[in-house]
Amino acid sequence: MRRLLTAASVLLPLAVAGGVARAAGEAPADDAVSDAVRRGAYIFNAAGCLGCHTDEKGGGQPLAGGRALATPFGTFHTPNITPDPVHGIGRWSDADFIRALREGVGPDGAHLFPAFPYASYTRMTDRDLLDLKAYLFSRPAVAAPNKPHDLTPPFSWRFLLPVWQWLYLTPGPVPDDPAKPAAWNRGRYLVDALGHCAECHSPRTLLGGLDSDRYLAGNPDGPDGDKVPGITGAKGKGGIGGWSDGDLTLFLETGLTPDGDVAGGAMGEVVRNTTSKLTADDRAAIAAYLKTVPLKE
Amino acid sequence: MSNRVVNVLAAASVAGLMFALFGMSAQSAGAADPAEQVKDRQQTMKKMGGGMGAVAKFVKNEGATAEDAAKGAEAVLAVSKMDPKKIFPEGTAVGVADSAAKPELWKNWDEAQRDWSAVQPAAEKLNAALKSGDRAQIAQALGATSKTCGSCHEDFRVKKN
Repeated sequence: MRRLLTAASVLLPLAVAGGVARAAGEAPADDAVSDAVRRGAYIFNAAGCLGCHTDEKGGGQPLAGGRALATPFGTFHTPNITPDPVHGIGRWSDADFIRALREGVGPDGAHLFPAFPYASYTRMTDRDLLDLKAYLFSRPAVAAPNKPHDLTPPFSWRFLLPVWQWLYLTPGPVPDDPAKPAAWNRGRYLVDALGHCAECHSPRTLLGGLDSDRYLAGNPDGPDGDKVPGITGAKGKGGIGGWSDGDLTLFLETGLTPDGDVAGGAMGEVVRNTTSKLTADDRAAIAAYLKTVPLKE
Repeated sequence: MSNRVVNVLAAASVAGLMFALFGMSAQSAGAADPAEQVKDRQQTMKKMGGGMGAVAKFVKNEGATAEDAAKGAEAVLAVSKMDPKKIFPEGTAVGVADSAAKPELWKNWDEAQRDWSAVQPAAEKLNAALKSGDRAQIAQALGATSKTCGSCHEDFRVKKN
């Protein structure tokens, strides 16, 4: 999605295959399709994979990559994540897939740029990761080669990425908090692991890591130079505490704000690709969780 | 006066009149203040937003009556029938007053116009839904109308502060 500051630069293999696609993100209706694929379709929407990995404006095929993400560190070109064995991820094993999303390391051992929000996806459960992979592998392969990134040194120096990961990546899922309601835990998982909301709604440090002290407090220097508002539970600036639950869930469903405006830009895309496709329960869980997030000053 | 003189005078006055009319209209078009046009657009959008907000309040059960919502939906429909050329005259992109319209809007005018013309049928359905009184149908139509607003905002509006 446009809201991400960066994109994965998996050095993917290369080759050919073709395919005519169903609209991405739709669960195939075929009864023979496994449950994993069906569950994976939902994870796919909730994790917002489609936006960044599709060059919609340039008429690219779904998930074939090629979208340019302009960031303060340079321009990333998102990779092809169709099952094409040469240009896509068709040769990835389950372990490869989990390692890429959880540790930010490609099958060839190359460290991935955190434009790919693995610092968030790392919190996904094994089952969700594998369901997601099953879904992606059910999509048509597209033989579109990847474009190299256009980054400014030192951000182009891949050998520095392990340092970044050491600083900003805490691998693995975060256990549910038993003291909190199930909806809150679900909301936190949707916000932090799948929705990767913090990637745009938290400010970044000079090294491009998420500033955890200002979690969801807004980002004055977001993607495409946009100012991204805070979505903590605070009332007023930096939060959505002044919104009713109905305001929040209707916004996530339709993009409509309490004053009758409709979200555009990156959040418009998030509503279109992700939050409008969640269940009403999941939208309510997101609202319940966000309202409890403190704004640290 | 000879006929010829009358004819010449008549022709001259007609020409003068036409010149004056044309000149005035050209002048009024040329003299429209872009900052004013931006302000007009913001008023227009506020009217639409106010209408959407009223329907949303009704859907959320937060104080708006069915009548408020019906009025809101009518306002949305009224704005959707306006000529987009009048709302988005050239020369009112970001940089003029506090305009939030990206220059791309005019570069991709056909697409912008398509986006705009998608609002009216959605607004008509919203009005029909309100007449039916079925809340689920109203909510659905409200979402569909928001979507038509969003497609233009997503591509052609700069982020507000």
